[in-house]
Amino acid sequence: MPVKAMLLGNEAIAGAVVASGCQVATAYPGTPSSEILPAIAAVADRLNAPTVVEWGANEKVALEMAIGASFTGARACAVMKQVGLNVAADAFMTVALYRLKGGLLLISSDDPGPHSSQNEQDSRMFAMFAKVPVLDPSDAVEAALMVKDAFAISEKYSVLTMLRTTTRVAHCRQDIEQVETFEKGNEVKFERDLSRWVSLPAIVRVSHPLHNERIEKIRSEFETEWGKYNYEIPSKTKAKLGVIVSGVCFSTLKDLMKQWCRDDISILRIGTPYPLPHKITESFLARHDKVLVLEEPYPVIETQLMNRSKVDGRWNGVVPSAGELLPELIEKIVLSEIGVEAKKPDASELKSAIEELGLTARKPQLCAGCPHRSSFFIIKKALPNAISPSDIGCYSLAINQKGVDSSLCMGASVTMASGYYLAHKETGQERAVVATLGDSTFFHMGVPGLISAVYNRHAFVLCVLDNSITAMTGGQSNPGLTGKPRKDDLGVALPIESVVRGCGVTFVETVKAYDTASGMDAIKRAWEYAKTNKTPSVLIFKHPCMLLRVPQEKISVTVDNDKCVGCRYCIDNFGCPGLSFDESAKKVSVDKRYCVSCGVCAVVCPQKAIHKVAK
Amino acid sequence: MANETANKSKDMQYIIVGVGGQGILFTSRVLGKIAIDKGLPIVGSEVHGMAQRGGSVISHFKVGSFFGPLVSDGHADVVMAFDQKEGIRNLSFLKEGGTFLVNTNCAAMFENDHLKKYIADRKIRVCKFKGFHILDEHMEGNYLFLNVLILGAAAGLKIPGFEEDRVAAALKELAPPKHIDSNLKVFGLGIKAASA
Ligand SMILES: Cc1ncc(C[n+]2csc(CCOP(=O)(O)OP(=O)(O)O)c2C)c(N)n1
Ligand code: SF4
Ligand code: SF4
Repeated sequence: MPVKAMLLGNEAIAGAVVASGCQVATAYPGTPSSEILPAIAAVADRLNAPTVVEWGANEKVALEMAIGASFTGARACAVMKQVGLNVAADAFMTVALYRLKGGLLLISSDDPGPHSSQNEQDSRMFAMFAKVPVLDPSDAVEAALMVKDAFAISEKYSVLTMLRTTTRVAHCRQDIEQVETFEKGNEVKFERDLSRWVSLPAIVRVSHPLHNERIEKIRSEFETEWGKYNYEIPSKTKAKLGVIVSGVCFSTLKDLMKQWCRDDISILRIGTPYPLPHKITESFLARHDKVLVLEEPYPVIETQLMNRSKVDGRWNGVVPSAGELLPELIEKIVLSEIGVEAKKPDASELKSAIEELGLTARKPQLCAGCPHRSSFFIIKKALPNAISPSDIGCYSLAINQKGVDSSLCMGASVTMASGYYLAHKETGQERAVVATLGDSTFFHMGVPGLISAVYNRHAFVLCVLDNSITAMTGGQSNPGLTGKPRKDDLGVALPIESVVRGCGVTFVETVKAYDTASGMDAIKRAWEYAKTNKTPSVLIFKHPCMLLRVPQEKISVTVDNDKCVGCRYCIDNFGCPGLSFDESAKKVSVDKRYCVSCGVCAVVCPQKAIHKVAK
Repeated sequence: MANETANKSKDMQYIIVGVGGQGILFTSRVLGKIAIDKGLPIVGSEVHGMAQRGGSVISHFKVGSFFGPLVSDGHADVVMAFDQKEGIRNLSFLKEGGTFLVNTNCAAMFENDHLKKYIADRKIRVCKFKGFHILDEHMEGNYLFLNVLILGAAAGLKIPGFEEDRVAAALKELAPPKHIDSNLKVFGLGIKAASA
C-alpha cells in the first residue's frame, strides 16, 4: 500500500507529473509555483525515472523547450507563475492552435491576495483568451488527479492543456499517497510536417477553425463525461440560493456548509472553467431564482454565463473584484445572499489592545547580513541624487531603506533606466541613473534591455546584485551557476562579466558587496564613464545570499551608548533587523536575536557609534 | 448525530504565527507527521515566498474532517505564537476557551487592560514561556531552536496533537540526525517551561 505523507500541493502535483510519464519538465521559478520543478526532480530521482528536469532562463524559454519536446512526441510540461505566463505569452497564444504530438501540460500558479506577486491576474482568463482548456483544482489531492487528466486530454485532442493552481492549493498541506510508479513515456520521433509545425498565416487559416471545433468537442466532453470535476451538491435540486463555485473557494464553502447545516443552498462545483460546460451551468441557472458565483481571482466562469440577470457576482459588486476570498468573506457573502447575518464574536477589546500596543503586521525585509543591503547603502551614499529603478527580487525590499525608486516587472530596471535617461536627455537635464537587478533577473530579461541600451547609447549605471542564487523564490539555480534540479546533473555557469562584455558594455567591474569603500569608488567611476562615453556601465556586486549559509568571517558589532544620538540614520537608511531602536531611550542596540555578525553596519553610523568588537 | 459529535471532538484547528525565518513550518510538519501516524486526515496552509523574508508569517493547520486549508476567525483551538506581537495580533482566530501558547519577551504587553479583558471574556487559557531567555541560558542563545522549544511547551501542556512520545519520535525522524541530541534537550526544556 502506498505510504501517505504530508505533502505540499506543489509536491503532490510534481508526483503526478512524474507518474504520468512526463519526459521533459521545465520551469522558471515564481511563487507560488517554485517548489514544483525541484519536487519533480526529487520524485524522478527517487523512482529512477528518466524525466529530464530543467530551469529555463525565463518562462518563454521554459515553455518553448517543452513545446519542442512535444513536437517530437515526448510528453512535456512547463511550470510558471501567473506573471511568468505573460513572458511566455507569445509562444502560448500561438501554440494553442497547434495539433501537438506529445502531451503538453502548462502549470500556471495564481496568487489571489496577492501574497507574493506584482499583480492578481487570473491564468484561467489567459487560457480563455488563448482558447486553451484549463482545469482548476480545489485542493492538493485533486490537483494531482487533474495533472493525469490534463495529460490525457492533451494527448486525446493533441492540444495544449493548462492546470491552474492558486496559492492556497500550491501551498496547502495534505495527507497524500506518495507515487511509487510511473508510466512509460511516448516514443520520440520527430517527423517533418509543415502543416503542423509552422505558423504561417495560410496554415493558421486552417488550424484556427479546426481548433475551434476541437474546443467544442472538449466542451461537450466536460458537459457529459467529467462529472468528477463538474457536479452539484445535492444533485439536481432547486434551493433558495444556488452557488457556482470553483477552486479553493469550493473547499472553503464545503467547510462552511458543514458548520451551518443549511438546506436552502445548493452548489454547482466547476472544475473545468474553460471551455465552460454550458449545458451544466445553464441547467443549474434555469432551476434557481438566484445564483452566486464564487471564484478567484477574476470572473472567468461568471463572464461565460449566457445570461447574468439572476446572477450575483463581480459584475454587480456582490463579490469584491480584488483580493482573496477568505473564509470569513465567503461566509458573509453567502449568508447575506439568503438574508442571514454572519455571527462574529465581539473583538472590539482586542482591536483596542492592538491599537494601543501599536501592533502592525511586520513587513518583509532583507535578511540580517544580506549583501543587497550593503550594495544599496553604497549606491545611495555614492550617488544620493541618482534615480534608482530596480527589479523583481529580494532587493525590491530595499524600498525600506529608500534604495528603490521604481519597480515593475522582471527586467524593467534596465529598460526603465533607458527611459529615465531619454526623458532627461530630451529636456537637456543631467541626472544620474543607477539601476539594480539580481543575477537571475539579469539572465531572465535583463540582457535584451542592456543590448538595447548599448546600441542606443544610453548613459546609466547597471548594478547586477549577484548573490549566486535566485533568492526571493526560495533559492533556485540560474544560468550563472552550475546547479541543475536532477541529482548528478551539472550545468555550465555563465560568468556574468563575460555576458555583459558580450553585450557590448565596455566598463565592467566586479566588487565585493560588503566592501563599502571600494564599492563607492566604483559607482562614482562607473557613472563618470557612462556620462562621458554615452553608454551603460556595469558593476557586479558579489556576495553569497544568507540562505546559502556560506561560512563567512564573523565580525561582531556593538553600539556605543554614549555616542548614539538616537538620530535613526542607521535604522532608516540601512535598516538591518540586527539593529533595534528603543523608542523610549532613543538609542540603538544590537538585537542578537537577528544579528549575524557580518560587520557591515560598522561604517554606517555618522557618529561612529557602531563599532566592530575586537576579537 | 452521535457519530458526528464523536468525530467533531477529534477535530483540531491550529494557528501558528511568527516572523519569517523562525522556522514555524517545522512545527506544522511535526503536527502533520503525528496526525498521519494516527491515520487522521490533515489540511493546512503555509506561507512561502516574500513574507518568509522576515515578515509576519502564519500557518493554518487542521486535523480531522475538513476540506479548506484556512482556519476561520474565531475557530482555532490553539494559537501558537513564536512572537508575542504576532500572537496578539492574530488572537481573534482563537475560539472561546481556546489555548494561547506564546513565547514572551516583554511581559508589560500583557498588562494592557483591553487585552486582559478580551482574554478574560473569551475565557482564553494563556500559556506563556520565555523562549529567548531559556535559549540564552541553556543553548548559548541559539534561537533557531525556538521551534523545538515551542513543541516541548505544547507537549508539556498536553495540547491534543502534541503527545510527548509522538513529538519526540517525530523530531527523531524529521530533524537532521546531527542535531538530535540538542533537539531532545531543547524539547525537554520546553516541557519543563510549560509546567513551570
Ligand atoms: C515574470 C516573472 N517570473 C518570475 C517571477 C518570480 N520572481 C520574483 S523575484 C524572483 C527572483 C529574482 O532572483 P534574483 O534576480 O537573482 O534576485 P534575488 O531574489 O536573488 O535577490 C523571481 C523569479 C516574477 N516576479 N516575474
Ligand atoms: S534571502 Fe538572500 S538575497 Fe534575500 S534578503 Fe535574505 S540574504 Fe538577501
Ligand atoms: S553586524 Fe550589523 S549589519 Fe551585520 S547583521 Fe549584525 S546588525 Fe546587521
